[in-house]
Amino acid sequence: MPALPIPFLTHGRRLTAAAGVLALAACDGPQSTLTPAGVGAERIADLWWWMFGGAVVIWVVVIGLAVYATRFGTGRHDVRRARLLIIGAGAVFPTVVLTALLIWGLRLMPVLRPPTGDAAVRVEVEGLRWWWRVTYVTPDGRRIPLANEIRLPVGQMAAFTLTSPDVIHSFWIPSLGGKMDMIPGRVTELALEPTRTGVFRGACAEYCGTSHALMQFGVEVLEPAAFDDWLATQAAPAEAPASPEAARGRELFLAFGCGACHAVRGTPADGTIGPDLTHVGGRLTLGAGILPNDPAAFARWIGDTHEVKPDAEMPPFGMLPAADLRALALYLDGLT
Amino acid sequence: MKWKRPLAWIAGAAVAAGIGGFVFAAAGFAPIAASSGHWAVTDWFLHFAMRRAVKTQSLGVAIPPDVSLDDRALVLRGAGHYESGCAPCHGTPTTQPSVVVRQMTPKPPHLPPHIPSWEPEHLFWIVKHGVKFTAMPAWPALHREDEVWAMVAFLRRLPDLSEAEYRALAAGDAGSGNRLRSHDDPIGAVVAESCARCHGAEGLGRGAGAFPKLAGQTEPYLLASLRAYAAGERHSGFMEPVAAMLDDAALQRLAAYYAAMPAGAAEATAAGDRALGERIATRGIPERGVPACVQCHGPKEAPRAAVYPSLAGQYADYITVQLDAFANGTRGGTPFAHIMRSIAERLEPAERGAVAAYYSALAP
Repeated sequence: MPALPIPFLTHGRRLTAAAGVLALAACDGPQSTLTPAGVGAERIADLWWWMFGGAVVIWVVVIGLAVYATRFGTGRHDVRRARLLIIGAGAVFPTVVLTALLIWGLRLMPVLRPPTGDAAVRVEVEGLRWWWRVTYVTPDGRRIPLANEIRLPVGQMAAFTLTSPDVIHSFWIPSLGGKMDMIPGRVTELALEPTRTGVFRGACAEYCGTSHALMQFGVEVLEPAAFDDWLATQAAPAEAPASPEAARGRELFLAFGCGACHAVRGTPADGTIGPDLTHVGGRLTLGAGILPNDPAAFARWIGDTHEVKPDAEMPPFGMLPAADLRALALYLDGLT
Repeated sequence: MKWKRPLAWIAGAAVAAGIGGFVFAAAGFAPIAASSGHWAVTDWFLHFAMRRAVKTQSLGVAIPPDVSLDDRALVLRGAGHYESGCAPCHGTPTTQPSVVVRQMTPKPPHLPPHIPSWEPEHLFWIVKHGVKFTAMPAWPALHREDEVWAMVAFLRRLPDLSEAEYRALAAGDAGSGNRLRSHDDPIGAVVAESCARCHGAEGLGRGAGAFPKLAGQTEPYLLASLRAYAAGERHSGFMEPVAAMLDDAALQRLAAYYAAMPAGAAEATAAGDRALGERIATRGIPERGVPACVQCHGPKEAPRAAVYPSLAGQYADYITVQLDAFANGTRGGTPFAHIMRSIAERLEPAERGAVAAYYSALAP
């Protein structure tokens, strides 16, 4: 989002202009329903454009009538014609339009909620305060744990099973399709079928507490072959540290008990409370969609956890010397 | 109005008395000398006010259900502190307060004969809050009520103790302390004076789970904890005064001294569901966000940070008290303490006891 200089706010007109620019900017980008990249999102966008066009027409007509009534037709009107206008345009027309929209919307539902029996990809997503536990389930039943990231093959249907152990969250990738709530004690489902490759963003769409706005995730749609490679990488155990400093980071990671909450497959770290970190260095983002993925961001997350994400469950480790934080960051960054 | 005139007189007299009192104090005539003592009537009135205040203000105090004042561990803890914190002013069964102390006004009483006139709740209030305008201080760590109850447990025994019994309770490893005192290592004197009385010269505590074992802990952990006590980051009326009196070099030597002591044996005596404790310690309770204890506190194969305490073989009582303090948010400590707070508060009291029982029975 472009940063607005403060003087902007003192000039109403400029502010309106800025708001217009922002509104247009919001139509594009990795998290927009208006540049769809999935079957569901396309149908929703179609509906939205038709509604937008219809709303423009109705708005022009209403404003036109208002201008006519106050400027030109200021004399007495025929009562019968006026009554016809009020009943026709005020009651019959909206009923017809809303009924048509309802039918359209209902007919959309099978498209947005198709049967997922033959889905090519199965993903379980658990929404937690404030991150996403993601598990890919392969056709042969293997479970591949990762976090805060969804990657999908283009042109294939992916079936999502959505749950929450704490409060209501909502799983939404605006570019790919509709949103679906994650409700404690229930299992909800969602199907998404991407139509073009690219990097997108998902977010929690239901207020869930302090850091709700910081509960996002990266999304990437890949060619099927690239997706298969990626998933194979995710299924493999972690790579060994590449440098002596990263190796020291691994020692620190194990010694300070990080493995009590985080798993790094292939090491003694097998915790399941926090995100699986086996391939954390290869993810699109850190901290559930809020930080770039680089060593500096790792060090910042580990040392200033609660400044980055207030009330996060992870205790900050800012008491560690800077050299230790750097070693840890290097180790984690190398887990691609 | 008839009543207006006398009222004006009374108000005028009050103002005059106030001004007079201020002038008296401003001129420096207030009788503050300790050497002259109190008039008998002043002495009576002050004592009367104090006794009434203690009785009224301790009405809300009750012995907690999990505290037994006959518990030997409590008596030992109280005795160890009495010798260094209380005896200089209040004496021992046969020794009077020192001559210097006896020049105070009011004079601190030689305590043993006075104890029976107070109920445990009164003693608790006095030890916790202290008494204004006397030299009786408040407890250095106000929320460490477990320590205050330990003092009460000991004080109740005090009137019946012979001097020899008192020495045995308060001095503990006095013999080896003396041996240490004559040792070449200059830290021997500190250990003998301040540490061995409770933790033992070998760092194994004094049995009964009264004091944590220090032997078997790493030097970085012991040093970080001592520094936390000295800086007031970790709270204890027993430990803070001792640690705060030592300079950092002494703390370092102390940590090295006890870290070098061989760990003792485990004692599988604690009540508590040890099987449940083992499950929590080794696997945690992931669905409640409780990580496995062993990842930080051992035993485990992978490396372990030296600044984390080892729990195997530690007294269950000590572990439970610490976990409870973590759980209710009052446990300070090293810069790592906040990690334990969020963990302990997710455990039920019975689960904390189970974990303590598991670790206490584990060979160090």
